[in-house]
Amino acid sequence: MQNYTPDNTARRYTAYVSTVGTTQIHLRNPYIIAWWSAAFPGFGHLLLSKYLRGFVLFIWEVIVNLQANINLAIIYSFQGNFETATSVVDTRWLLLYTPVYFFAIWDSYRTTNDMNRVYTASELEGHRFNTFNIGPVEINYLDKRNPLMAVVASIITPGLGQLYIHRIFTAFFVIIWVLLFFYFSHFPEALTYLLQGEIQQANSVINAEWILFLPSVYGFSMYDAYVNTVENNKLFDREQRQYLKDHYQNTSFKILKGKKVD
Amino acid sequence: MQVFSTFEHHISLEIAIGTLKRIGIPNENIFAVPLDSQIEKPRLFDTLHRADGTSLIDIGLAIGTGFSVIGASIGLMLYWGPIIWGLIGAFIGFLIGFAIRLYVEYVVKKRKRALKGEHSEVILIIDCKEEQAEMVESILWKNYAIGVAKVK
Repeated sequence: MQNYTPDNTARRYTAYVSTVGTTQIHLRNPYIIAWWSAAFPGFGHLLLSKYLRGFVLFIWEVIVNLQANINLAIIYSFQGNFETATSVVDTRWLLLYTPVYFFAIWDSYRTTNDMNRVYTASELEGHRFNTFNIGPVEINYLDKRNPLMAVVASIITPGLGQLYIHRIFTAFFVIIWVLLFFYFSHFPEALTYLLQGEIQQANSVINAEWILFLPSVYGFSMYDAYVNTVENNKLFDREQRQYLKDHYQNTSFKILKGKKVD
Repeated sequence: MQVFSTFEHHISLEIAIGTLKRIGIPNENIFAVPLDSQIEKPRLFDTLHRADGTSLIDIGLAIGTGFSVIGASIGLMLYWGPIIWGLIGAFIGFLIGFAIRLYVEYVVKKRKRALKGEHSEVILIIDCKEEQAEMVESILWKNYAIGVAKVK
């Protein structure tokens, strides 16, 4: 059940409150979005709420990166061991990696610029949109949440910040993948050793190739949770302003010019 | 009699209005003015191709993620290992990015930021009978009004 059914009288909408999340078009910095695509193909598109493209690019990255040994090559390159970096790369896969990687960066950059223009146009149009959704499996509505809590939740486990702000698609996707990354990188195991002060043991259990996925996943889920909490709060404010102007500004209302009483 | 009050944008403001209607205040006796805030206004100008200016942490997390990958890679050769060096990298990168953002916001853009704490975003005025005033006032306070004043 919704409190407004889009009847296609608007040329463009800025937001949509659905069962699985609040989707918004808002202004974004194209360089920041492009950077997240570079950190992990797919993340730029997930930030733009273009989930299907994001999922495809993300899964592609995991498969092709591991097959081509890109992460191992990155590790050896940063260690200055360029010969090993060159020899570890699987040339059967490497050439497949490059074009899609750069496409993801370019496409998310281009889309951000497009969507910024769409936002400006739809904001000027100012058409109303659905703000409340109740159904058999979920309830979603506009309200105010704490951006800091969203970041903290995503630090505890990537994806929880997205659950906190009802960004269901990103939340499920990130939580499932981070589980795989945790398991195959032996990260929780190494962390247990580290907390016991056994650094050598911690280093020996770690799978280098898999652990290199984790920084991007942590960074992304913190950023995505933070930005979307802030934007959802701004959307709530804007919608409430419009509601108050529409309902509580009767022209016959006269201000009483009396004295303040205690 | 009129009761003046200010609020932040929040659902409790709508709960206040709903409760006022329940005690018999009609729609036309409630007057709301959403205020434009100081930081909201200039945003539309410099933002067509940029972010919205509120994400203080965007560059920090971007550089932090990059440094964390580098830290973890190099850390694989070092005694402290990839996790600690990855975290050190993330932390240093975040601080650098955060410093850049603060510099841009405060020194380059010289943007005024809102003072900390609550600030009023809506003025709400209720026209009511004198005997209702006490109740109206307590409804407003209970729903987190920032300030309330009665005028006769």
